[in-house]
Amino acid sequence: MPAVQETIDQVRQIDVDQYKYGFETIIETDKAPKGLSEDIIRFISAKKQEPEWMLEWRLAAYRRWLTMEEPSWARVDYPQIDFQDLYYYSAPKTAAGPKTLDEVDPELLATYEKLGIPLREQEMLAGVQQSKIAVDAVFDSVSVVTTFKEELKKAGVIFMSISEALREHPELVRKYIGSVVPTSDNFYATLNSAVFTDGSFVYVPKGVRCPMELSTYFRINDQNTGQFERTLIICEEGAYVSYLEGCTAPQRDENQLHAAVVELVALDDAEIKYSTVQNWYPGDKEGKGGIYNFVTKRGDCRGRNSKISWTQVETGSAITWKYPSCILRGDNSRGEFYSIAVSNGHQQIDSGTKMLHLGKNTSSRIISKGISAGQSNNTYRGQVSAHRKAANARNFTQCDSLLIGDRCGAHTVPYIEAKNASAQFEHEATTSKISDDQLFYCLARGIPEEEAIALIVNGFVKDVIQQLPMEFAVEAQKLIGISLEGSVG
Amino acid sequence: MLEIKNLHARIAESGTEIIRGLNLKVAAGEVAAIMGPNGSGKSTLSYVLAGRDGYEVTEGDILYNGESILDLEPSERAAKGIFLAFQYPVEIPGVATMQFLKVAINEQRKARGEEELKTPDFIRLVRERAAELKIEPEMLKRALNVGFSGGEKKRAEILQMKLLEPNLCVLDETDSGLDIDALKIVADGVNALRAPDRAIIVITHYQRLLEHIVPDTVHVLYQGQVIKSGDKSLASELEAHGYADIIEAAA
Amino acid sequence: MNIQSKPTLTPAEQGLIDAFVAKVSDLPGDAELTAHRDRLIAQLTETGLPSRRIEAWHYTDLRTLLKSVPGPQPAGAADALPPIAPNALILPLLQGTHVQPAAADGLTCTSLQERLLAGGASETLQPLGRDDAIGMINSAFVTDGYVMSLDSEAELAPILELQAVQDGGQAHGRFEFEANAASRATILERHARSGDSAGLTSSVSVLKLAENADLTWIILQDRGADDVHLGQLRAELAEGARLRLFVINTGGHLVRQEVVVKVEGEGAHFDLRAINLLAGQGHTDVTLSIDHSAPHTTSEEVVRNVVLDRARGVFQGQIRVAREAQKTDAQMACNTLLLTDEGEFDAKPELEIFADDVICAHGATVIDLDPAHLFYLTARGISEKVARQLLINGFVDELLDELDNEELADVLKRRVEDWLDRHV
Repeated sequence: MPAVQETIDQVRQIDVDQYKYGFETIIETDKAPKGLSEDIIRFISAKKQEPEWMLEWRLAAYRRWLTMEEPSWARVDYPQIDFQDLYYYSAPKTAAGPKTLDEVDPELLATYEKLGIPLREQEMLAGVQQSKIAVDAVFDSVSVVTTFKEELKKAGVIFMSISEALREHPELVRKYIGSVVPTSDNFYATLNSAVFTDGSFVYVPKGVRCPMELSTYFRINDQNTGQFERTLIICEEGAYVSYLEGCTAPQRDENQLHAAVVELVALDDAEIKYSTVQNWYPGDKEGKGGIYNFVTKRGDCRGRNSKISWTQVETGSAITWKYPSCILRGDNSRGEFYSIAVSNGHQQIDSGTKMLHLGKNTSSRIISKGISAGQSNNTYRGQVSAHRKAANARNFTQCDSLLIGDRCGAHTVPYIEAKNASAQFEHEATTSKISDDQLFYCLARGIPEEEAIALIVNGFVKDVIQQLPMEFAVEAQKLIGISLEGSVG
Repeated sequence: MLEIKNLHARIAESGTEIIRGLNLKVAAGEVAAIMGPNGSGKSTLSYVLAGRDGYEVTEGDILYNGESILDLEPSERAAKGIFLAFQYPVEIPGVATMQFLKVAINEQRKARGEEELKTPDFIRLVRERAAELKIEPEMLKRALNVGFSGGEKKRAEILQMKLLEPNLCVLDETDSGLDIDALKIVADGVNALRAPDRAIIVITHYQRLLEHIVPDTVHVLYQGQVIKSGDKSLASELEAHGYADIIEAAA
Repeated sequence: MNIQSKPTLTPAEQGLIDAFVAKVSDLPGDAELTAHRDRLIAQLTETGLPSRRIEAWHYTDLRTLLKSVPGPQPAGAADALPPIAPNALILPLLQGTHVQPAAADGLTCTSLQERLLAGGASETLQPLGRDDAIGMINSAFVTDGYVMSLDSEAELAPILELQAVQDGGQAHGRFEFEANAASRATILERHARSGDSAGLTSSVSVLKLAENADLTWIILQDRGADDVHLGQLRAELAEGARLRLFVINTGGHLVRQEVVVKVEGEGAHFDLRAINLLAGQGHTDVTLSIDHSAPHTTSEEVVRNVVLDRARGVFQGQIRVAREAQKTDAQMACNTLLLTDEGEFDAKPELEIFADDVICAHGATVIDLDPAHLFYLTARGISEKVARQLLINGFVDELLDELDNEELADVLKRRVEDWLDRHV
């Protein structure tokens, strides 16, 4: 398998510094004053020329948030966040709505090039046999550019930043925003509702199969800046879209906050495939710095026979608190969650999913692979529940953890809730280390230990990698190898 | 003993009609073979006879000793003496074979208003019958059909038949998965049950089993109907020429 | 933002406090113990009973579910029952009061009351942490029980039947059992109801297994359909010790049985076989927490649940493996037959692993009876009711085959069959 070879090469090339996306872009930014207040929210809303109802919506969320408590049930430990010590809006100065790529600050383009995300369409097309991917690039608080807009428009697909969508398609945004993750949902989601600055908006009309993969690339650059993006994807009856999300941040000593909300709506017979490769800066070897990643992702299978599939590869962030979920409301709807979570160093991950079976004949599948190394803690937390009326609800969950070294922790916390006789739930979980036999076999064939581990880990996560679109799969495998660098010996 | 009249039956969930106007008569003392290609409705017929959930009779009737059995539960049909030897006997973990046999025998006796069998009598009876079928006593200690080989499962089915002494035996593809030795044991078991007051229906795809259980009549099932009936020579004819000729002739 | 207003007391909380006020002068113990009991009740007044916001009580919101508590006095007298275990040595605890400490070869036994009166007992009456409501209630209210010790190398020939029989009111009992090195015994902890009145019980059993001790402990909870049973078993296993625990729940309206096991000695082994037969309107929770803190330890749990009517069942099982506990093998399975649309079952099997060279796994399933199985049985003339009983029995019965004492296994199997006869 060529990808495995690539991973090995990648691991071999690794130097001391493991995080290759840790550079900073020096660019002039336009910032709101530090801190959070109704005025700051009015400032953000005004900057974005939002309709009045949006401002009211934000303010209502903010007032609600003031009454809420930060959740403490997750197995993550971090010093209290001072929400007044953050910038809630930071935008590259030149980014105020560039019409074409030529208007985009060359520093920014260079940044994305360095990240391996080509934003120039002709460059993308020049790539050898690479399939087309439309990209929305979000830098700190704002979307800097969205590619392939015209071509998508021909198909009737709307793909733009959510700020733009609020101006151009306010009726669509208003109809769906907050309909999956209500503003009162949880501490971080409510905060996001009050202060979100940008994100992507996708609308695929009835019967349309989106002609290319859509992708958003998030980059936190600025110091002390919270990134709060909001993504909304709507697939009308019989529509299909595959959406990819990638994230990186510079290496900094202080922690940065990222609290995103992603809402997916699938109507009758629609399908949404959402893939994430999350590689925020995880902090250094001593556990200093890194992103706090508190994300609410939820999909609503609103229509009959609809399907939502989440695939995630989580290798970054100091703290991850993330449970991409599916509400299986429509009869015969299906939810899937495929996850690889790799933790090393001092990383803490508490991630998993919720599958809420409400409609009849709904089914779900959860495959979670956790790999803990270093002094990290890696928790799978997942809820599967079948409502009284969810006749014939089906779930299968397979949840495996791999420990590398004896200073890390791997935890599994499933919540299985069945409320009708026809529900069938099956849950399996295992925790083990890399088998000595497997390792010895590789060593005996002359493969060095580190590479042998990469090989075995690749085998361990294969079921999930297969769910990713091709380009992402290769990327993800490399990333896992890199993340585990230095975990043995 | 059995009369099937213009039977139409479908799978409840999908509504697919499998049995489409089937007529069949089997008299007491008769061994009738039902042969047919895959998908002709053989297994469905056996399930409809035994009363399995999930199949709907939309038209026609099944008369057993002159009475319709369509409204009877599977257990009531069994108590009246209808026995289905399954093509794939299910494994039931946790339920011991001996316990199952005892409950089955006594429930049937109870339904017929007979005395329950006393435990020592029951054990003696099972041992005798099992020995005739070369079933090891150890096998009876295990959970029902769990870990039984294909041949053991089929022998266990015949053992149940011997113990329950039904009037109408329906053998669904009993030969599938059997080697020649097991096939002979099973066939001997069935032949021993041939009696003037008992009818046996042998459902099979191949003629092989019929060399050992020689039928009185042979019926060819195709697309949910009996398209040809005859004596045992019909089976040999099928073996020699396949189903195609008969299907064509019937079309 | 962390301002928590003190919750107003629920009728049940108030009832417990009132019962304490009424009983406190009669509770055995010296001044120190009384002060200790006071502190526990003050804590209860402060925090209230645990609600679903407390993770350990997520599925059993005691604050909501415990609507009221009966007064402290029993409704009537309770008599010792004939033993269910053949030739058993009975230690009855009637309405929470001991009868006479019995003795057998190698076994010494005193009443807990005696120990409480002797002073210095508050040390041993401690909850296992802030969220341990059962430990808190029991420590505050406990009046009596038995303190047993089995000599080194001794093998207790008869089964010891601890019989907690109650008719209404409240009873708070405690059994302490010390199995010294290489001793062996089988103990049946039986909770039964006599009379017609609803009662509240708290019961804590504390087991200490020394090196190579080998205990089989069976908890049979068969209380009335309107009784509240709060049980807790704590066990510590030293090197090479072996505890085989069976938990059988067939009664009660609100039941929580906690099992807290510390596998502390190298090579120690714990296993659990639990059968929860749930019918009516009952709520039954089995919550298990196992700590492996030494290398080469093993544990294996199999929990089988049958849910009928409007019953609700909960299983929480947490396996923790400490960094030092390399080569641990821990396996847990929770299988449920959920047989009605009005019933509910919630499972939360948890693994918390800090050692890398381990094999740990859990599995959980919730299913209905297999229609193919039902058809097979009914096609053999077995009525649907009997077929269902057979299948359900087959699902739970095999766990009892693992009891070494066949006679006792047969008795318990008959009780399972009787229950199925009454409820299926």
